[in-house]
Parts: sequence; C-alpha cells; structure tokens
Amino acid sequence: MANPVLHPAVRVRELHKSIATATHTVDILRGIDFDVPQGQFVAIMGASGSGKSTLLGLLAGLDTVSRGSIQLDGEEITGLNEDSLALLRARKLGFVFQSYQLIPTLTAEENVLLPAELAGTAGSVGERARTLLNEVGLADRRDHYPVQLSGGEQQRVALARAFMLAPPILMADEPTGNLDTANGAHVLELLLNMNRKEGTTLVLVTHDPQLAARADRRIHMRDGVIVSDES
Amino acid sequence: MRAKTALRLAWRDSRTAAAKFAFVVLAVAVGVGSLTGVRGFSRAFRGMLLKDARTLMAADLSVRVFELPTPAQQRVFDTFTERAIGRTWITETVSMLSAPQLAAPILVAVKAVDPAKYPFYGHVDLAGGGPLPAALEGASVAVSEDLLVRSGLKDGAVVKLGTAEFTIRGVLTYEPDRMSGSVNVGPRVMLTRANLERAGLLQEGSRSSQRFLFKFPSGQADAMILTARKELVGVFPDAVIADYRETHPLITRGLNNATTFLSLVSLIALVVGALGVAMAMQSHLQQKMDAIAVMKSLGGRSSQILQIYLLQAVLLALAGGAVGLVLGAGVQKAFPILIRNFFPIAPNVEFEWVSIAEGLGLSLLSTLLFVLPPLLEIRQIKPILIFRRDMEGVPKSWGEWWVEQRASLGAGLLICLGLAGMASFLIDANWRDAARVGGWFVGGLIGALVLLAGLSWVLLRVLRWVVKVPGLRLPALARHGLANLYRPGNRAEAVLVAFSLGVMFTLTIYLLQSSILGQISASAPPGMPNVFLINITTADRDPVTAFLKTAPGVEGDVVINATAGGRLKSIDNVAQSETNLTGPAKRFLRARTVTWSREMPPQTQVVEGKWWKDGTPKEPEVSVLAEPAKILNLRVGALTEWELSGRRIYARVAAIHRNESVRPGAGAEFVFSPGALDSVPMLYFGAIRVKAAQISQLQKVSFDKFPAITVINLSDVLDRVQEVIDQVALVVRFISAFAILAGVIILASSIAGSRMRRVREVVILKTLGATRAKVAAIFSVEFLLLGLVAGVMGSLLAVAFTNVLLTRLLDAKFQFDWAPNGIAIFGSALIAMLAGWGASYRILDQKPLEILRDE
Repeated sequence: MANPVLHPAVRVRELHKSIATATHTVDILRGIDFDVPQGQFVAIMGASGSGKSTLLGLLAGLDTVSRGSIQLDGEEITGLNEDSLALLRARKLGFVFQSYQLIPTLTAEENVLLPAELAGTAGSVGERARTLLNEVGLADRRDHYPVQLSGGEQQRVALARAFMLAPPILMADEPTGNLDTANGAHVLELLLNMNRKEGTTLVLVTHDPQLAARADRRIHMRDGVIVSDES
Repeated sequence: MRAKTALRLAWRDSRTAAAKFAFVVLAVAVGVGSLTGVRGFSRAFRGMLLKDARTLMAADLSVRVFELPTPAQQRVFDTFTERAIGRTWITETVSMLSAPQLAAPILVAVKAVDPAKYPFYGHVDLAGGGPLPAALEGASVAVSEDLLVRSGLKDGAVVKLGTAEFTIRGVLTYEPDRMSGSVNVGPRVMLTRANLERAGLLQEGSRSSQRFLFKFPSGQADAMILTARKELVGVFPDAVIADYRETHPLITRGLNNATTFLSLVSLIALVVGALGVAMAMQSHLQQKMDAIAVMKSLGGRSSQILQIYLLQAVLLALAGGAVGLVLGAGVQKAFPILIRNFFPIAPNVEFEWVSIAEGLGLSLLSTLLFVLPPLLEIRQIKPILIFRRDMEGVPKSWGEWWVEQRASLGAGLLICLGLAGMASFLIDANWRDAARVGGWFVGGLIGALVLLAGLSWVLLRVLRWVVKVPGLRLPALARHGLANLYRPGNRAEAVLVAFSLGVMFTLTIYLLQSSILGQISASAPPGMPNVFLINITTADRDPVTAFLKTAPGVEGDVVINATAGGRLKSIDNVAQSETNLTGPAKRFLRARTVTWSREMPPQTQVVEGKWWKDGTPKEPEVSVLAEPAKILNLRVGALTEWELSGRRIYARVAAIHRNESVRPGAGAEFVFSPGALDSVPMLYFGAIRVKAAQISQLQKVSFDKFPAITVINLSDVLDRVQEVIDQVALVVRFISAFAILAGVIILASSIAGSRMRRVREVVILKTLGATRAKVAAIFSVEFLLLGLVAGVMGSLLAVAFTNVLLTRLLDAKFQFDWAPNGIAIFGSALIAMLAGWGASYRILDQKPLEILRDE
C-alpha cells in the first residue's frame, strides 16, 4: 500500500516515448526525470511540439511508455494493463482538458456525476455534484447540455467533474487555452481555489507564462527533454 | 458498475440519438414482424386444425387408401359396426365431364358420398340453401361454382359423366372436408355411390382414393378411438389414418414445410436488419470515440463502457422486437387474404406468450450477435485519443494484429454459430436434420454476403475509376453524385450488401417460379408427352392403344404403362421389417409402385445381370433400378417376396438397370417380367404427345369411345399448377419483400446518419451559388446510383443462383429474361431514390447562415 508521507505524488524516471509511423520513428520524449511532492502545484511549460501534452498523457496512464518508469502516489503504473490504469485514474486522478471534453449527450450535472458513476460510488453523489456546480457558479445550468453552455461554462463543468471524486492528483492540460482572458482568469481562480481547498497535487501543462507564474514550480521542456526545473 | 448505472448511462446516450435509433428499431422490427407473422399464423392455423379437426375431417376418425378394402379389412369394419361405430365411405377420383354445349370435356374432381350419413360433422352448403340428399337424388349431381363459371353451364343443365347423363341440381359453396380430400384437381362434382357406379367410373384399373369416415358413439369417442385406431393401423399399414385428437397429417406436413421455408426467408430479413443494427452501432460508436476516450480517461474500464453499449443494444433489440410483434400481427392478418383461394378460412390472430418470447428472443439474439464486432472495437479506443489522433497510423506487428483481431474473429465465428442455431431452431425437423439444413442455410447466406460484399467493392471501384477516366467529361452534377458514394460515413458497401441481398432473394424466387412454369408450359421439350390418359381398365388397354395409334395429331410412340402398388416383404427370406434402413431409405419399408414390361424400356441400360428375352421367363423375375438396388443391397439372383394388392408374389432379381429417360413412367424402380403380375389388379396410364391444335378433338373422340377414361391436357393442369405456384410465390414474395424493406431501412438510416455532413455540403454548395435544384440533382444521382448498383448486384447473383438451382438441382434449363431483371434494377433505383429523399428531404431547406454561424 502506498504511503502518502514516504512517496512523492508523481515520480518519473528515464521516461521515453517514441511513435513509429509508416516511414520513420519520432522520439517525442527522450529521457525525463522528476518528482512532484504531495500537494505541489507544478507547471510544465514548453512550445508546441515540445512533448508536454504527451508527458501529461503518460502521467495519467492514457498511453503506454516506450521506456522508463512512472509512479503515482508510490505505485508503478507503466506495467499496468488498461483496466488497472482505468481503476487507478478513477481512484487517484482528476483531469481537466484544454477542449473541455464534456460528453455532449449528457447534461452539466450528468457530466459531473460521470466519474462517480463509473467508479460505482454510492451515497449522496448527486448532492456532491450539485455542490461542485454551485462552487463553479453553474447551479442554475445543471440541466443544460454542453452545446447550450459557453466555453468558459463548459470548462467550469469540467472543473467540477475533475474534483467530483476528490482525487489526490489533478492533471490539467492548457485549461485556459481555449478561453478568452476574462473567462480564462475566472476558470484559473476557480481551479486554484478548489485545488487549495481539496489539498490536491496539481500538474498543469501550459505555455502561458502568467499562468505558470502562479505555480509552486515550473518545468520547461524542449524537444522532448527537460531544459529547466525551477521553484 | 451496477446494472442500474449502466442502464442510466445507456439511456442518456440513446436519448440524443433517437432518430438514428428509430431506424435501428424499424430494421429489427421488420425481420421480427415477418418471422412472428409467419410462425404466429402457422400456430393459429395449427390450433384451428386441431380445434376444428372433426369438422375439417367430417368425422372422428378417417382412413384413406387407394384400394378397395380386402376381406380382412372389411372384417375389422364389421366389428366396428357391431360396436355402434358409424361409418361412411367416400370415393374420390378425377374424370371428364361433357355436355352438348361444351367444345371439349372438362377435367373434374368427382366425389361419391352417402348423403344420408355424410358429413358426420360440419355441413355441406348449397347455393340455394337446400339439403344435400335432395340435390343428389335420382340422376342428379351437385357441382362447385367454378365449374359453372368455367363451362358456362347453368344449374339444371344435363351433363355426361362417364357413361351416364346427370342433371346439375345443386351448386356447392362449402364442403367441410375439402382440405382433407386427396383429389383437388379441377372443379368438384358430387354424386351418390349408386350414380358413380352407373357412370362406370369404378372399373378395375381406375385410379381412385377411398376415404372411410367413422363416428364414435357420443361420450365414448375418447375411450374407443385408441383401440379402433390400433386395429386399423394393423390392417391398413399404408393408409393415411387421422383422428380428431390430432391435426391432419398431410396438412400438418405441408404446413410444417411451409412454415420452415417461410421462417428461413424471414430469418434473412432479420439478418439484414441485424446488419443494419451493426452498421448503426458502428457509426454511433465512431461518433462516440471522443466520449469513450473521455470516459476511459475518467476511470471507465472497457468492460464498463462495453456494458453501457451492450445494454443499449439490448434495449434497441427489445424495442425492435416489440414493434415487430405488432407488425407480425399485421402479417398474420394478411396471410388469410394471401391464401384464400386454397384455404377459405381465417384463424384468429392471438398474441401467445410463445410467439412473444420467440420474437423477442430472436431479435435479441440476432442483434447482439451482429453488434458484437463493433462493440469489441470499444476495447481498441485509447484514452490518449483526446490528445493525439495520429496514433491511428502506427503500423502493427502480426502479433499485435492477432491480439487485437482474435476477439473479432471469435465474434465472427459466434455469429455463424448463432445464425446456424437460429436457423436450426426454426426448422421443423429432428435436431440432426435441422442442424444440417441450418448449416447449409447459414453457409449459403454467409457465402451470399461475402459475394455481395466483394461485388459491391468491385462495382464501387469501377464507378470511381469511371469518374477519373482521362478525357471522360462527366457532367458536374453526375461527378458530385458519384463522389458522394465515397463520402466518409456513407457506408455505401454495407448499404449495397444489405439492399441487394433482399433484391437478390426476391428476384431469385421470381426467376425460379417463372423458369419452372415456362419450362413446363413450353411442355415440352420435343417428344415429351403433353396428354395423359388415366383410369384405363385392363379391358380397355388394347383398344385404347389401338385407338391412339391411329388418332389424328398423335406423334411418336403410344406407351401405356401398367402399375400396381405394394410392399417388398423380404429379400432372400430376410424380412424387410428387420433391416436397419434409416432416413430417406426408409421409404422402401412402405408401399412402392411396381410395373411390368416385356421389352426393356427406352433409354434403359442393364448394368448387372440380363433382361428377359423373348416372352415370359419360366419363373417370375424382376429388374431393379440401380439406386434402390444399392440401398436394399439387392444382387442379381436374390429372391424377393412382395405383397401386391393382397397377393403374395415371389420374383428373382434378373437384372439391375439404369434409366436416363425423363418420360413419365420410365423411371420405374421395380420392373417385373411378363406374367409375373398377372394375378395383380393393375392401373394403366398413358402418356402421349399430341399436336396442340388437335388435343380438344382427341378428348372429345376419346370421351365418346371411352367415357370412363380421363384424358388430361397438360396445359389444363398447368393452369391449375400456375394458380398454385402463383399463390405460393405470392406468399413467398410477400415474406421476402421484408428483406428488401429491411435493406431500404438501412439505406435510409445510412443517409440519415450522414445528415450533418450533407447539411454542411449543402450550405457550402449554396454559399457558392448552387441552386436548390442543382443540390437536389446531386443527391438524386447518388441515390439512383446506389439503387442501380444494388439492383445490378442483386440481379447478377439472382441470375447466377437461379441458374445453379435449375441446372444442378432441378435438372431444368435456365433462360435469361431481360424484363424481370430490368424491373428489379430500375425498381431498386426508384426505391433507393424514395428512401434517400425520405431520409434527407429537409436538408434542402437548410439556411446557410444558421450553419456557418454555428461553425
């Protein structure tokens, strides 16, 4: 059993990721090493194509590594099969995507409820979902479908969904990338407030220096390697 | 994840795809409707046969034979009389009826009854409403209405039947046991036994069926019937015996065969519908790939997501099954209309639990089998899809491919097994035969699907090639329409397979029907007989032969065949009842037809032994056809013991022969030597070829000279055969049309499924200046092409299948006919056009700005 005191929330060692296409092999990540202590807010930065989104996907177990090791909360995830990874995500990870990724056929509340339903969580999940929607200021839009919500509102629903099961680790991929300045700032404030309140470890991918400035630590990537790691 | 949660998620996912899933429900409903309609009607019909068994038989028990009772059989009848069991005797035969005002005699079905007793149950209805005994009194007969319609004779007219004249004194509108009768060729003439004898129609050598009806004392029938039946089976081993506790065996056999055949035809519609469900589910899942990836990234396991979509499929199948049950009730209602010429009855349409369970079960099974491959693809959707779509192009090793595909291959195998299981379930036979036929059916179906898929692939590529031929300047509208066939998500190949399967099947049925009829009515490969003579007595045999040899219009040989019915009792003193014959070979344990001949019949070849030469051998001999000889293990020199019309005959096997002739009577299995059957009453029939224009004349002259002999013009029988085949074909076409309907629904569903892409296209075209008419023309070209290609594919395969069936199985010749194929091809194009516009007509009204603003 993993011990939150002894283990970092995230530990990455010698991580490589290559993709073989029909004609050649592309090395996207070329040896990444870092740890993220419990409760830390880390911003991973880099230009487009630097490998930061791929890194985030691998950290969340959404894809398989080519080589190396990833531990989440002390648990090695690189050898796990797809179902074990899914169970691990349900238990330990929350996710916020750049393009919200709400299920278009579900209402706002149903989207928020989804992780609990997939995890088979019983009890007052409905109440928790409504509380979270209230926190993101969408209590009165809970019956609306994604298509009836603005981008900012959709991302706030995605935030509520990410916190639904109070995960110890939250991964965010350019959470404000698709939003205008005002909405972006609003979503960011909400994310950080909820993160503080829930005591979550936050790994956030961004190319926005202003957003990264709010983080406890900033990891810069270029061409698949870490070029700087500053607190 | 609990089932309740999965159900909730499945429901949420379904509600925004209502229109798409409505097509799925319809596609399933069509197959289920056709299947439950056929089987429900069959059950209701069977129920009615059982409920009204007494009336339909006009008795508590009936025995049907083709010979007069032997003394032993008569003794059993006498003991019945002592036990107060009522009995009446019915004789049925065919004969010729003539009248001065008729150009040629008419073939009629004669039925002799005792009007004082007949019918024991039910009633005979006459047009005027009078009693039957009065209508048959004196020298009078009652006739069915179709005789008057066909001949122009009136009630009260004087007609000649056999050697006697009768007055028509009643028009029959209903006989209770018409369905249980054996001779239904031609209009009915009913008369008393005394009048039948007066007409001279029952001479030795006449072909007639004898039915004995029994009525048991009321209140004791159940107790007595078992014993009585046992006694009758003992003395009438070859008779058809039926009693009111069961459905009539002959009708039941026909009903079972028809039900099996139509059920399998319905299964094709169900399979086409299930293909549609699979297509819809695949397109649905493709649209849901992002949602599935998101669910996986939120912790959803493949098995959980699979559960959601599996439940969705179950709900759709059940909904389709429920709608199908309602449709099936409609089909049940339609059946009595389709078969009213044969069975003027209408069984009650009742919803039985068995039918409901069967309909829902089969819809569920077929749907689940076919959605399995698309559902298994859920496992391949990686959550990383949210970030990178370029993962799809990564080449895979054979090992990885095998790991990914083995489940799909397993699913394919499961589909084949499941279909074979369903087909076997629908076949009314023992499990071994059912499994065999089920296997063949599924093999054929899968083969047809693979062929159609290959053909559609080729034709679509040919069309694509045509568009790109350098120098070929197709009009822009046609080019756009052609290009639309390759629209992503259009699934043209699958649509073509589904649609053309229905076209192919329906057209095959039609081509088979018309080819067989055409073959018979052309009658006639030169040299084949077109006139048959029956009821020739032994005394008339030589005079008839002499008459025919000099009669005008007769071409070729005049052959009068002699036949007798009987059983092979033993071979080399080993009783046949002790042999282990199984399957079709068991027919040799029952009565067989035998003949005798001095000369070796034409086109006969002795393969073993020798044919008797010059006159009568000292001891009776028999030559056996090769196939029965092989089954019965008969060798030259073996001693056979026969029971023929109550006479015991012994004959040694002199020869084993083969016969290549298709002439009636030529393929006799057992040919005895001259004199061997002298003590046996024989039936004689003649088959001759007469110039078509002189057939009526021959009938008239023959009737004057030999009034008891029935001269059948093949073309008259053909009219009747045509009626029967038309009626059967109508029912089959009605059911097979459901397969086309399922295909059309799939086509409409596919077009509706690509609605969003079409809307964008329409908007862009309109923005660029296309008029409404131009956009409509582009879509029309697409729909027309789909229909035409499906029609061509269906037609090509129908022609191929009909050719194979006719030449390989039915030993008939196939002649290509443009008309039905042309109608099928253009009809398919028209149907596709209607279905296409039915599913997308609103698209034309789309205002460009609404869409562009959303984008």
